[in-house]
Amino acid sequence: MANISELLNGWGFGKQTAIGTANLVATIWRHTNLNTKPWAKVPVNEDDRAEIGKGHEFPTQLFKSHYNMPAYELSKYASSEFLAWAMSFSMGNVAVSGSGPYTYTILPALGATNPTGLELPYFSFVQQIRPGGSAVLDEMLVGCAVKGWKLSIKNSPGRASAMCAVECVTTGQYTSPSGITLPAISTPHEFNAGMISALTFNGINYLTGGSAKQFVSMEASWENNFRPGFFPGSGSQDGYQIQGRFEWGDRAFAVQFVVRVQAGSTEYANLINLTTGTATFTMTRDANNSFTMLIQKMGFNVAELGNTDGIVTLQITGVQLYDPTNGMVTMTVTTPLQGICQ
Amino acid sequence: MNSVFMRSPEGEVKEVEATTEKLTILMASGWHQVPAPTAAQKPVVVAEEEEQHG
Repeated sequence: MANISELLNGWGFGKQTAIGTANLVATIWRHTNLNTKPWAKVPVNEDDRAEIGKGHEFPTQLFKSHYNMPAYELSKYASSEFLAWAMSFSMGNVAVSGSGPYTYTILPALGATNPTGLELPYFSFVQQIRPGGSAVLDEMLVGCAVKGWKLSIKNSPGRASAMCAVECVTTGQYTSPSGITLPAISTPHEFNAGMISALTFNGINYLTGGSAKQFVSMEASWENNFRPGFFPGSGSQDGYQIQGRFEWGDRAFAVQFVVRVQAGSTEYANLINLTTGTATFTMTRDANNSFTMLIQKMGFNVAELGNTDGIVTLQITGVQLYDPTNGMVTMTVTTPLQGICQ
Repeated sequence: MNSVFMRSPEGEVKEVEATTEKLTILMASGWHQVPAPTAAQKPVVVAEEEEQHG
């Protein structure tokens, strides 16, 4: 028996060299996770109930089918390291500069020019409970990818005001025992909503402009909509078929935010006039830790009047348009950690 | 000035200033970062030209 609090999580901050080649320990970090479940392995069996010729309709034999690995959520307080990791592995085109701190510039990769086609970087995921001779759990899942993420900014105090949840998928390939000695737990450089240093959406400055103190919350999300990765030659583990690739489908980038309504609010005018503009969201902890999401062309799709805790508010659903020169969105993250997605 | 080496979809490699504005324009059109060439290495653009012309 073991308490779930004994569960140790580590995963590759560097990328695997191939989907079936695990991270080396030097490129694995260890972090806490607010998701209290381990990543379950789900082998699927099938039987012969549909086959006639047995003389009856009942199944008589079991067959190994495939690993149907569920998606797994890494839920953390937003930090410079974790945001750099989440954005890099979910979007794919990463340029890193500097010699400490390091600045990561991240854009969604294009299928036509991405060196790995429609595939994003892969990483390994290690989960352990009492690793060693009598481990309760010790395995490394190989060939994991980031399916999507959600960044939530709330009108509340503390680290919970800036959260990032990342949904991951994996092929079904694993090694057990992992053979990995996890490093000491990382101390991330976390943000909170009080550290927002730029907040301008579609021409409205919600931080220092005439609309200051008007902002309530924001949710931004990215979804890669991976296609199933089973194909001839995709591989097997324990006699079960595994997935051999995760190719992005129709990717979706969503942004919703809530603002207090005041006299002269221009959100409605922006919506009905089809006004578009850039959107800049920045959190700055210090000179070594910052995060900026620059949406190149945002319009408003919905502006719904409501109330939040008794205050009249508008819930705005943005529509992020692709700009032919600058693309859709640029994430810029400065963090002390080197080698993320490298 | 921080700089990075970027490679175009056509294979051209050039050193660019690592600002969000400059990198965004390149990366949005398919450029990717590549390692800095070592001092002994010729720039890829030059090497390709030599290969074409013998």
